[in-house]
Amino acid sequence: MTDTSMHLTTDEIELWAQGLLPAARAMHLADCSLCRVEADRERKVMLELVQLPHFAPNAGFADRVMAQVKVTAPADWKT
Amino acid sequence: MSAASDQQVVAWAKQGHDAAFRELVRRYERPVFSLLYRMVRDRALAEDLAQETFIKVLNGIKSYRPEFKFSSWIFKIANNAAIDHLRRKSLDTLSLDGAPSAETPEQMRATTLQLGDRAESPLAEVESRELGTAIERAIARLRPEYRSCILLRHVEGYSYEEIADTLELPLGTVKTYIHRARNELRGYLEDRRD
Repeated sequence: MTDTSMHLTTDEIELWAQGLLPAARAMHLADCSLCRVEADRERKVMLELVQLPHFAPNAGFADRVMAQVKVTAPADWKT
Repeated sequence: MSAASDQQVVAWAKQGHDAAFRELVRRYERPVFSLLYRMVRDRALAEDLAQETFIKVLNGIKSYRPEFKFSSWIFKIANNAAIDHLRRKSLDTLSLDGAPSAETPEQMRATTLQLGDRAESPLAEVESRELGTAIERAIARLRPEYRSCILLRHVEGYSYEEIADTLELPLGTVKTYIHRARNELRGYLEDRRD
């Protein structure tokens, strides 16, 4: 049996923010304002982080890399 | 080729197919560059380190062991490149009055940090636009070890176990770093809002 009076751990708060916390433990949030405040703060930061974009290097990056990579063609390509 | 798994593309690269090498660059240039850029906060330097990472990985593709994820391998090499750079940089840190190693007035002048030079360049403007948001500035204030863990966790979506494998850290350390990093980020962001 799960004790719903126990405060959520950091791992559980992360699971909650991802929508993965089992309902029995998530029920604790309805009764505990301490955990609710903590969970909301964590969720805000996580949301900001997951929304960070990927940046692209300058055009021609792949060509600059490939110019310095030694590709040995498959044996069956050689004449 | 774009639908093939990383393992399949790597297998083709090992056979010497040029297109397979290019596909690996296409898949990972943005994630690898983004990690490095957020680690060193200098576009040109991040691109040099990303280039160095890809050259090392692709020239060493035959030594790649398929039991590991290719993404873990490439991120490990990229992260090591960033950490090495940051360590070297901290040894060479310039004070406003010149490098600690400067002994003569000429050396002091030559190594004095020129404030304003970079801030006026077009590249610095791009960097300021890209990395100038509150969350990016907060990430920049984290210790490098925390920064790589938090970026792999929340930007790349890695599990704690994958981060531990990638960075060769104990699982408990990774958890601690990520929790502390999030805690510090919250503090920095809430300070800004107050």
